[in-house]
Amino acid sequence: MSVVEVDGVWKIFGDKSAEAIAAVRGEGLGKAEVLDRFGAIIGVKDASFTVEEGEIFCLMGLSGSGKSTLVRHINRLIEPTTGTIRILGEDIGAMSSEALRALRAEKIGMVFQNMALLPHRSVRDNIGFALELRGKDAYHRAQLADHALETVSLHGYGDRLPSELSGGMQQRVGLARALAADPEILLMDEPFSALDPLIRRNLQNEFLGLSQNLRKTTVFITHDLDEAIRMGDRIGIMNDGEIVQIGTAEDIVTAPADDYVADFVAGISRLKLVSASKIMVAVESHVARHGPIDDAHDYPTARPEDDLDTLVELSTGTELPVLIRHDGGTVGIVTKDTLLHGLQGTEAT
Amino acid sequence: MSTTAALIGAEPREVESRDVSVPVFADRNAAYYGSVFERLQKGELPFWHMNLAGLLIPWVWSAWRGVWLMFWVSLALDMIGLVCLMQNFKYGPLLADAHLDPSANAILIERYTRWLSVYNNVGIATLILGRLLIGLQANRWYFRQYSKWRIDGHTAHGVVARRVLIAALILVLVAPITLYRATQQRIDERACFNQVRAIDGTQRLLSRYGVTEVSDLTSALADRRDRLVTERATLEASASLTDDQKGRLAEIRREERQLRRENDAVEDFKAVSAKDRFDCLFIDDFPTLARIDPPEDVTYRRVPDEDAIAQGRSGATKVITQVKDPVEGRTVNIFTYTAESIDIGINFLRAQYAGIFDALTNVLRQSLIRVEVAFMLTPWPVLVGLAMILAWAYCGTGTVVFVGASLTFLAVFELWQIAMQTMALVVVATAICIFVGLPVGIWMAKNRIANWITEPILDVMQTIPSLSYLVPAVAFFGISQPPAVLATVVFAIPPMVKLTALGIRQVPQSTKEAALAFGASERQLLTKVELPMAVPSIMAGLNQTIMLALSMATISAFIGAEGLGAIVTAALGDAQAGKGLLAGIAIALVAMVIDRILKGIRSSLSRI
Repeated sequence: MSVVEVDGVWKIFGDKSAEAIAAVRGEGLGKAEVLDRFGAIIGVKDASFTVEEGEIFCLMGLSGSGKSTLVRHINRLIEPTTGTIRILGEDIGAMSSEALRALRAEKIGMVFQNMALLPHRSVRDNIGFALELRGKDAYHRAQLADHALETVSLHGYGDRLPSELSGGMQQRVGLARALAADPEILLMDEPFSALDPLIRRNLQNEFLGLSQNLRKTTVFITHDLDEAIRMGDRIGIMNDGEIVQIGTAEDIVTAPADDYVADFVAGISRLKLVSASKIMVAVESHVARHGPIDDAHDYPTARPEDDLDTLVELSTGTELPVLIRHDGGTVGIVTKDTLLHGLQGTEAT
Repeated sequence: MSTTAALIGAEPREVESRDVSVPVFADRNAAYYGSVFERLQKGELPFWHMNLAGLLIPWVWSAWRGVWLMFWVSLALDMIGLVCLMQNFKYGPLLADAHLDPSANAILIERYTRWLSVYNNVGIATLILGRLLIGLQANRWYFRQYSKWRIDGHTAHGVVARRVLIAALILVLVAPITLYRATQQRIDERACFNQVRAIDGTQRLLSRYGVTEVSDLTSALADRRDRLVTERATLEASASLTDDQKGRLAEIRREERQLRRENDAVEDFKAVSAKDRFDCLFIDDFPTLARIDPPEDVTYRRVPDEDAIAQGRSGATKVITQVKDPVEGRTVNIFTYTAESIDIGINFLRAQYAGIFDALTNVLRQSLIRVEVAFMLTPWPVLVGLAMILAWAYCGTGTVVFVGASLTFLAVFELWQIAMQTMALVVVATAICIFVGLPVGIWMAKNRIANWITEPILDVMQTIPSLSYLVPAVAFFGISQPPAVLATVVFAIPPMVKLTALGIRQVPQSTKEAALAFGASERQLLTKVELPMAVPSIMAGLNQTIMLALSMATISAFIGAEGLGAIVTAALGDAQAGKGLLAGIAIALVAMVIDRILKGIRSSLSRI
């Protein structure tokens, strides 16, 4: 069972949303025409995806592509115009407001781009906020909060005010607040976008480490493809409210679904992304062109899942192609030509 | 939400599709304006550069080219000059008469002659210098308009004849009547009213005598007078009169008097020239000459209800209504009518709901007495010590010294007890302000309709002169402290409400969203996020409220509230400047002491 299931969700801002949806479905109207004809704005257009347990799912898109709107559907901060969202198998559209509040406090933690900490509360009280809302007593609240603080390596800062901390530390507090109630799901709305590059990288690494330990199902929003590739097990790319492609970083880089995605991934370094299996040439075609493989030579070998970085490492210092071996057999061959084309992202001729 | 805002981005404007060259903008004479604009941009245009059309025909030129600012400025300058010159027509004939009259006062003649020459000089100077200014500025204004037009294509450009037509209409509407007004003496206010009366009276007479022409009416009146005179002469000639005849004689005399009045009215009417009528309707005060019958003069009184008392309900009362006969022929204007209606309404409410008002007055009086007792019976060393400790704990040494000095001032001038009375009033009023203002402020922040209703009411409460609602306050709640408290609340509550609402509205949307995302209910959102974050704003509102309440002390003394204000009011009545000043300073010191201490507490509590 998937932890988060989003199925056919539309969000249209405006009074004539039903007509607008019908028109978009029937006539394939664009954003501008919908605004013209119905005075309605398309926030999310027919979005469907699932997130499995422990997975980090990145939603990536430029500002205004609807990713923040979409993620707010997952805890129903925004009501979908149509479509269903299931959390742990339960349809949240049908929940009573009390059940919804319990879900938000206990099952879903959220981290915001601008931290959104409460300035009048100490760090500890900020972190214990969700617990306090559920009526947890002060003693246990403080314990859990201190535990969460330790998780984000901010031990001992519990009695400070948020304004006393730096931006990076504040975002750690934001993360600790989301983790304090030990929720199953984390929603991260561009959590690191407002930070400077060094701190951002630090926090990304830390979060990845945390994530490996805690195995939280995470929906991670970003407008930065590099970040999406670093963080995401899978990536969904959004454009104008629509999810145009979902797949692993490698899928998206090697087989972009349309020009928009292709444009996006054009400048991305493929070294760590693309695996040998994507570029290797079948043994037969290699033999047909270059002659048989001479077993006398000591060929460098790699596995199909090794990335291009590894292949470059292996290819330097030898004129021989790299054999890709799997289960004891050679499944493909990567020559220097193939490797260079693979790095460039073009087909070998 | 940022996402939706970003979706409605500004479309890039297609400037390329629009020709923004000078020829398109100026239309006629583009070559001239092109070179002028160029030189202007290069800074090569000499300061004496002049647009001849602007100098000679500024109204036409500016309207034709749509430079409306210049049109209005040139119109205003020309009108000022001409109005000055028009004084010749106003005083010229009078002066000519006075010169012929040997008994005229020579000093006055000289003074008016001097005035007239000043007017003439100013008028001519305004006309010439004004035109020069317009001529110099014309092209510069025109260039500014060109720059504006390049940004916004809807700005007036080109040459349009219709605009000249509009300008001509404006001129026709403005110029003749203004210049005519400048030649006329001020009209007697009474004259216009008499005019209306004469016209109305004559209309009535015309219909009574069944004639249409005023000349017919004159002759009809003359006929009637002749008949009456003849009849009287006959009666008076006879030696002895019967009672009937005596009665008839008296009646004739009455009729003759009536006739004389009617005659006067007709004469007045004939004397009304078309010019007088025009003057009254258009150049004097706004001609609202409507007169209506006054509202029925009703008095409501609550008296013991004898019937009910007889049935055993002791103390029962009822409202009785007394209607006074209207004064014969009294008509009032709309202002008086409305004011009297309000009086009657207040009177009715007071009598009908006496129980409610009395109960409210009683509650206020009792709570005031309690607080007053608390302040006045607490020994002064305790209060002084308390104030000093608060100042010491929350503020700096400077404030401690100031508080000490202020309290010494009150003590030395023997104003302590009186100041405590003022404090009691302020405390009760402030408490009411908090209990009412806080919920209203929250409601206002949360609900747009509430905001829409409350905002203008608060503005009125803040700006309406306090003296004007002291009168109804007295009508409802009697004199002395209770109405003073209510008047103070009316005056002091707006900042409390407004700053509460402001503080809550200022809580960032993202913070509220975060709270909701962690499962806050509406109530938790208010108590755990919005109110705590609004505290600084609310405290500022409280501070303002206290200051305003103190400043009302003097005003409420007018209706018998005791305290420092009463000294000021009394001093005003007796023209004792020193007494008033000292009491006023005492009020200011009390206010500043409270303000400083509150500020100290506020800043040491605030974590934001």
